Amino acid sequence: MLATIESAVVFGVEGRPVTVEVHVSNGLPGFTVVGLPDTACRESRDRVRSALLSSSLPWPQKKTTVNLAPSGVRKQGAGLDLAIAVGVLAANGDLPPDAAAGVGFVGELGLDGSVRAVPGTIALVDAVRAPCVVVATAAAPEAMVIGGRAIRPVRSLADVVAALRGEAPWPEPPPLPPTAPPDPGPDLADVRGQRVARFALEVAAAGGHHLLMVGPPGAGKTMLATRLPGLLPDLGDREALEVTRVHSVAGLRLPAGGLVRRPPFRSPHHGSSGPALVGGGSSWLRPGEASMAHHGVLFLDELAEFAPSVLDALRQPLEEGSIRVCRASGTATFPARFLLVAATNPCPCGDGGPPGACRCSDRARARYGRRLSGPLLDRFDLRVDVGRPASGELLGGDPGEPSAAVAARVAGVRALAAERGTGTNAAIPVGRLDELAPLSAGAAAVVAGALRAGSLTARGLHRVRRVARTIADLAGRAEAVGEEDICLALQLRADPEVLGAAA
Amino acid sequence: MSGQLPPPAWLAALASLPGMGPARLRTVLSDRDPEAAWDQARFGALGVAEDLSRRWVMAARQIDVEALWARHQSAGIRVLSPGLAGWPRNLHDDPEPPALLFARGDPAVLDRPCVAVVGTRRCTAAGRSLAHELGSDLAAAGICVVSGLALGIDAAAHRGALSAAGGAAPAAVVGTGLDVVYPARNRELWDLVADRGGLLSEYPLGTGPERWRFPARNRIIAGLADVVVVVESDVTGGSMHTVEAALERDRTVLAVPGPVRSRASAGTNALLAAGSLLARDATDVLVALGLDVASRSRVGTVTGPGGSGDQVLDALGWEPATLEQLAERLGTPLGPVAVVLVELERDGWVAQRSGWYERLR
Repeated sequence: MLATIESAVVFGVEGRPVTVEVHVSNGLPGFTVVGLPDTACRESRDRVRSALLSSSLPWPQKKTTVNLAPSGVRKQGAGLDLAIAVGVLAANGDLPPDAAAGVGFVGELGLDGSVRAVPGTIALVDAVRAPCVVVATAAAPEAMVIGGRAIRPVRSLADVVAALRGEAPWPEPPPLPPTAPPDPGPDLADVRGQRVARFALEVAAAGGHHLLMVGPPGAGKTMLATRLPGLLPDLGDREALEVTRVHSVAGLRLPAGGLVRRPPFRSPHHGSSGPALVGGGSSWLRPGEASMAHHGVLFLDELAEFAPSVLDALRQPLEEGSIRVCRASGTATFPARFLLVAATNPCPCGDGGPPGACRCSDRARARYGRRLSGPLLDRFDLRVDVGRPASGELLGGDPGEPSAAVAARVAGVRALAAERGTGTNAAIPVGRLDELAPLSAGAAAVVAGALRAGSLTARGLHRVRRVARTIADLAGRAEAVGEEDICLALQLRADPEVLGAAA
Repeated sequence: MSGQLPPPAWLAALASLPGMGPARLRTVLSDRDPEAAWDQARFGALGVAEDLSRRWVMAARQIDVEALWARHQSAGIRVLSPGLAGWPRNLHDDPEPPALLFARGDPAVLDRPCVAVVGTRRCTAAGRSLAHELGSDLAAAGICVVSGLALGIDAAAHRGALSAAGGAAPAAVVGTGLDVVYPARNRELWDLVADRGGLLSEYPLGTGPERWRFPARNRIIAGLADVVVVVESDVTGGSMHTVEAALERDRTVLAVPGPVRSRASAGTNALLAAGSLLARDATDVLVALGLDVASRSRVGTVTGPGGSGDQVLDALGWEPATLEQLAERLGTPLGPVAVVLVELERDGWVAQRSGWYERLR
């Protein structure tokens, strides 16, 4: 007898529908899975057999063939287990005919017959060609995010069989846990002093400008960076779904409500490989840290310690907001639109901030500076020098402004940018700068002076104007960009000689 | 053939032999002329240790003296030797003189009173500006400014000397062959000094930069100078080698005082504490040279930019500071301070490098 069951597999961050065909016929008892299964997929035979036996269900003593259609596409993961088990039962006549019609199955089986959640549930449920999808209870909140499909959460294979036979109703979905307010994360009020760095952080959050922090060890660069997500507004519905999809495929823990509502913060170690950062892998294509930071913050600490080739791989996502990973097994596109925040020491000894204070040799400094390629440094709109705070600021001193107050201003600026139709201020196209960021007379004079003195290039000018737009928005000056705004933008400018060699 | 080549050609060839330092070259030349010395080197008859002698024989076979001399002549490089015309006057009684000097440009610029202006490569903007000013004022007063064409203070002093209209031309002593520009960033300055003043080296053509050659070069700078001025230096470093060499040669050493917390001035302040003369400006240096000068102090002659610019300059002082520190000292928001800083930088009052502001005047 033949049974066909609907399920899906993950490719990149998308799901692909798969039809599981099970054929049971007379012949030597045996069990074959065909249709390009990977190792985890092929092993499903043993899991399915044990799960059936543990659930007091019969295992056919006949020749059983499982085909995963379309058979030309490589299947990976254990998410087809449940579909195969149901298929075997149906083909063997242990389920009423057509019991599984219009029902899709996504889940991994335990040897005891329990049904487990699999990574990428959102993408899988979205891809299954059936109006009703059976998933593990643990994956129910995630699966229900999609909407438009009936979700049947189950704990075990026995639940599924009972419901398909009509002996028991489908189990009720577990009540959604109360959506507790998401953890606000570390607060900006903890940062003492650092007025310029705090300001740069606010500008970066408000305008979506990539930020480079330069400073000696222990100055608080990491502390500042971890407070950036707290300044960003909640994700919109569409963004939240995109982010949740990536996190689900990557196997990250999702919040209780299923949807990722807060901008993610990812800080990969500087030893990370290229595929770990931008995605890839040989057997199946996994999203990298850059994609996990989609609509959030990607923080690269010790930027100069990253392998230069790894950093250069970030140039495509910084440009296009997505990463195309091409392998022999296929091409996947991962979303990767993130706010890049990087931190680095000014030189190998770390003390090279104030002129004349560095102990490094010229050669060591030059070598250190060469580790950061010009094209990458070119992507940073903002650069801020983070000095060690004075002891007085650390011990006494007023606590800084709390994140909530800053976040309110940031949300205001972001709303303004959305009204103008540019997404963020960092994305204002050059052609619309004159319209959206006009210069006041004083600001124009400052810019003209800087251009004449050669301290500002044409490309640098565009960037300075975008940053000045954000600064003016933060100050509530929605019209022309003033002299003060442009001067502050010049202060926060990332000049090409970031790790300036002495001379 | 050999009779047509002048003695300097043989000298240059001898200096190109491996392991031929100034002391050894002096010994070799003590009792024979360069041409004879070269012939003996070729046949291993110079009476030096056997393995060295063998190396010289091997090396001498590779050297075509005629072609080597042609290279010197086409590059406009002269070879000076002690006792002959063009040998710098101050090196006649040097305790450790070079055995020969390669020279581009006009070594006669060293006949004027010579002042070495030296300092660290990792200098502050204030130090660089002072070195420039000293170089310019000294050159205008007819002094030959001698330095090492390194980055930082050296280069600033040379640039200053070259900038003085109608001033005396500077001289430089470098630690590489005259055809190896080091640091490469100074190529333009290197050529300017060679064209308008004098460029000297005791190393043969093709000698690359090596760590130990620079302290050796510094002794020549100290030897050439009548007075040595240290603008900025840490307590260790090349400038301190120059100072030691200068003291061995009884040269007057002057030091420019700096902020006590600045690493770049730690060495000069230590020199002052140890009794060096104070160099505030070119006048102090001219007095140390024993030249009669009309005093023209710069203190008090500079009027500030006025208004909020004065306040910011006061808050800045003479040590590097960041925007944040300035706003903190003034107790104002960042924006207005940023505006004033941009104006001050435009008008040349301050210089900014990677977020740090330094006062220039």
